[in-house]
Amino acid sequence: MSFLQVRDLVVAYGAIQAVRGVSFDVEKGQIVSLIGSNGAGKTTTLRTISGLLRSVSGEVLLDGEPIHRLPAHKIVMKGVAHSPEGRKLFSRMTVEENLRLGAYTRSDEAGIREDMDHVYSLFPVLGERRTNKAGLFSGGEQQMLAIGRALMSRPSVLMLDEPSMGLSPIMTQKIFSTIKELRSEGTTVLLVEQNALSALALSDRGYVIDLGRTTLSGTGHELLADSRVQEAYLGEGVGT
Amino acid sequence: MLATFLSQIVNGLILGSLIGLIALGYTMVYGIIQLINFAHGEVFMVGAYGGLFMFTYLLPTFIQRQWYLALPLLLVGGAAVSTVVAVLMERFAYRPLRGAPRLAPLITALGVSVALQELVRNFYPGATAALPFPRVFVQGTWEIPVPGGTVPLRWTGLLIIVLSLVLAAVLTAYVNGTRMGRAMRAVSQDSDTARLMGVDTDRVIVLTFALGAALAGVGGIMYGTDLGFVNIDMGFQNGIFAFTAAVLGGIGNLRGAVVGGIVIGLVKALGGQYLPGGTAYDYVWIFVVLIAVLVFRPQGFFGESERVRA
Amino acid sequence: MTTTSPAGAPPAPRPAGPPPGRTARLIAALGPHATVLRGAGGLLTLIGALLPWATFVLNKGPYPDKATLQYFVAPFGVTGFRWQLLLFGIAALVLALAPVPARGRLLRGLAWGIIGIAVVNGLFITVEGGGLGAITVTDGSVACGAVVTLLAGVLVELGARAGGIEPRPVWTWRFGPWVERAVLVVVYVLMLFVVAATLTSGGTGGAANRYSGAVFLSFLAALGGAFAALHASGLMTWVATVAERHRVFSVLVLLAMALALPLTAAGNEYWMTVAANIGVYAATAIGLNIVVGLAGLLDLGYVAFLGIGAFVAANLSGAAAAKFDVHLPFALVMVISAVIAGMFGAVVGSPTLRVRGDYLAIVTLAFGEIFVRTAQNNIFGLTGGSNAIPGIPQVELFGTRFSDRIAVAGIQLPAGVLYYLLIVFLVAIVMLVFSHLKESRLGRAWIAIREDEDAARAMGIRTGPIKIMAFLCGATLAGFAGAFFAHKTGTVSYESFRFTESVTLIAAVILGGMGTVPGAVLGASLLFVLPEKLREFADYRLLLFGLALILIMRFRPQGLVPDRHRRAELARDPADEPPPGGSTAGSRAEVAA
Repeated sequence: MSFLQVRDLVVAYGAIQAVRGVSFDVEKGQIVSLIGSNGAGKTTTLRTISGLLRSVSGEVLLDGEPIHRLPAHKIVMKGVAHSPEGRKLFSRMTVEENLRLGAYTRSDEAGIREDMDHVYSLFPVLGERRTNKAGLFSGGEQQMLAIGRALMSRPSVLMLDEPSMGLSPIMTQKIFSTIKELRSEGTTVLLVEQNALSALALSDRGYVIDLGRTTLSGTGHELLADSRVQEAYLGEGVGT
Repeated sequence: MLATFLSQIVNGLILGSLIGLIALGYTMVYGIIQLINFAHGEVFMVGAYGGLFMFTYLLPTFIQRQWYLALPLLLVGGAAVSTVVAVLMERFAYRPLRGAPRLAPLITALGVSVALQELVRNFYPGATAALPFPRVFVQGTWEIPVPGGTVPLRWTGLLIIVLSLVLAAVLTAYVNGTRMGRAMRAVSQDSDTARLMGVDTDRVIVLTFALGAALAGVGGIMYGTDLGFVNIDMGFQNGIFAFTAAVLGGIGNLRGAVVGGIVIGLVKALGGQYLPGGTAYDYVWIFVVLIAVLVFRPQGFFGESERVRA
Repeated sequence: MTTTSPAGAPPAPRPAGPPPGRTARLIAALGPHATVLRGAGGLLTLIGALLPWATFVLNKGPYPDKATLQYFVAPFGVTGFRWQLLLFGIAALVLALAPVPARGRLLRGLAWGIIGIAVVNGLFITVEGGGLGAITVTDGSVACGAVVTLLAGVLVELGARAGGIEPRPVWTWRFGPWVERAVLVVVYVLMLFVVAATLTSGGTGGAANRYSGAVFLSFLAALGGAFAALHASGLMTWVATVAERHRVFSVLVLLAMALALPLTAAGNEYWMTVAANIGVYAATAIGLNIVVGLAGLLDLGYVAFLGIGAFVAANLSGAAAAKFDVHLPFALVMVISAVIAGMFGAVVGSPTLRVRGDYLAIVTLAFGEIFVRTAQNNIFGLTGGSNAIPGIPQVELFGTRFSDRIAVAGIQLPAGVLYYLLIVFLVAIVMLVFSHLKESRLGRAWIAIREDEDAARAMGIRTGPIKIMAFLCGATLAGFAGAFFAHKTGTVSYESFRFTESVTLIAAVILGGMGTVPGAVLGASLLFVLPEKLREFADYRLLLFGLALILIMRFRPQGLVPDRHRRAELARDPADEPPPGGSTAGSRAEVAA
């Protein structure tokens, strides 16, 4: 049984269905990406998994246990961390305060300190500016902080929504290599990306979401080689 | 001359620090759910009546006679009554409207304000008129000598200034330095993302209402002790002043609320002394200041302009 | 390589509610016995109506129709609420047996009427009699009318639900235009009589008539049940569509009916005065409806414009306490009052150029408070301060003072009828102005600003002047009403224009339905008639009012007459949710608790 299972998820905003049947599995220790065009329902899917939105039907199982009826803060306690689209840092708080909020569900002060140091070692620039307000940072630095903040809850599943959005190619490379590093440390990653090429290249598995439904799935390399994927999603993405 | 001026400054500081204390509740609630909680003034009033009830019906005579026993008990009692009322109103009036268009909670707040005032008027014995409030503190004044006369400072006034500033400092430290305080700030900046951090936003909102209400309750007791009476209109009037103070200081900003309160107090005291019309028009000046601030600097003294909501 | 099959059939819609609870299972089990339940409920209603209701003699006044043991003295003198119950019982029996469209729905309306009557009278007798003994058994006297009737109501409701609640039927009958007009006239005449009966039911309340409130509430319960049943029959909707077809005709007949009120049972000085006051507030509320309902700008100090109009009129009326020693004709005074109030409206509205939303509400509140304070201090000798401006002369026309009793064609009309007729015309004019403004270019611009100010600006609407226009127009209407108010009451004091009055006006607009023409009038009428009829609860008037505001916002934020064409400002309509991708703002209503 997979670690995170999403079954026939349907989510609606009022009368409009944004997600009309999304299903996928995430195995422990893997990187799984959801790709698809703008408005396909990827972000809605992540927001539903983390409890910000309620599904109309379908289920989300974490380690076999249904979590789709839990409030958002309980889902975090179950070990799902979500770094939202657009990073959504607390811009008027310092780096350290942002990281401490990431660890909000924990009370082991020693462990929190240790994890904070770990984040600083992953992203040394954060360590140098730990008392600076997050709002003053560049896009790439903000993304590092967003990932670091999500890691602070010691998640069993890390969900990253568009981590490369608005970043320079070099910074994008840096973020993707960090994601790989996280996998090597044993973290499970669910990645949502428009930058399908880079995402699939490092993913163990990928799912294509189109108009609110999962339409294709396969290993990262299979999808990269698939003509339909190439036509629909890689054409314009190859260059970037 | 100087003595008159300084006495008005003292009066302004006394009223101002009380207004500032109430304003903290407005500013915190607005910061966290963008609601002008009109009923907050009533929470202040209810605290005073709660304390009065406790003193009149619950405390044995020997405690009533010793202010150093009675005052702390009343402060705690008043704060408790205010807190309970605020938590109930959050739960039953405001929470069901979370996510509703903005006019709805504002009108609900008006309704809660009217209802609370009327509940006290109808059901507190004798509340249709002003009620005498026990003076549970040292009476008398400290005559501070200055060139050309003396400046009187009531001991109860000094109590208001000192206790208000201390409580405001404690609150600021709590919000800036603790885990729950951090959660409050997080919810006020972006409540969805705060949820993603594992923050139970409902709990944080209740806590915010409760903290603001406890301060207002303490304020209600001190107000009664200083004036020697309470009436049911005290909430509306001081509530509006406190809201003005919160806006003046930059809504959502704790330090700003206190500074704004003191400015309001000074405007009222000095305006009543030196502006045409005298004390009959001192309220008018406060509202003029309010309008001027909202029109020309809606972010207040300390607010960051990004915080200003449409 | 695998291809996940696209989720085959479209997903089933989310079930409307939680899984069937105990009530739902009970209803399902009762299904086969629906007719029996309905019939038994109807029969029991008849019995309840004929049983004694109180175990003691309500000797402190004529509680309606011998709800006591005295009843047995005259068993067929059935009037008042028992008569209404008899009608309801017979109707329920007929509906239980006759195959009428949507009868489940109809019965449900009746059931709630029966339950309402039983609860109101039962509670009243219990309170008056000092305990439950009053409606059960004390000292060997038995009275169980209230209990039996309550049970009957519950049975009818259960029967109605067990048999299934059908959708409301839609009637598409069309007749010749004159037949339809005749139907409308009949309906409107009936409405006039219902209004007159409602106003007079229970008599005038107060210390002398302690039963008035209970009788009135009981009548209201009956009326509510009857209306619910009529609405369920689909007939009301049909009449509404017919009225829509003959719009001008409808408006004229309604105006005639309003003018005919003095000829009905409610045609006495008391109700003429109350109605004139309602008219003043209705006209003001319509003005406020422009600002709040159309332009979406919350004004918490609105009553100040009524006050400004009243003070201007008072000063120009030739009253002894007036600042100016002039006595201008009433019509001219009205125009001047309206113009000056409108100018103040523009001043109060000018901060809208820079301030929005909640902050604007506070600015208007501040202006309102400044008005009250300055008026209290008799600023420039214009307001009389706490002495008010008394002795404002009555309006006169051809030597007849408007407060006099007059007789037309041998019919003696109550005193104050001329003021009543005048205010009916004024309100009619104000309604006309409002509906024309609403349909105009300006009105559409206001609505655009209400929906999305930034978008409106992007569309090329000059939002600043248009928002100020909203305040100007609204305040002008209020000033107009203020001039009438000054002459009608004869005294103008700052105490009539406090914050509570502003909140009452807001409540009238919201209760009636924001942005609609009849809404503000309906809301103002309810908010003034109810306190008049429920004087026994005068102490609790504001308390009930506050609670009502909370409950309306919670359960019916769109008001009694919702605006069909508007996207909801207050209602939570699922279709209003922005499409996905709208980031955080888009997920408000769907966000999990």
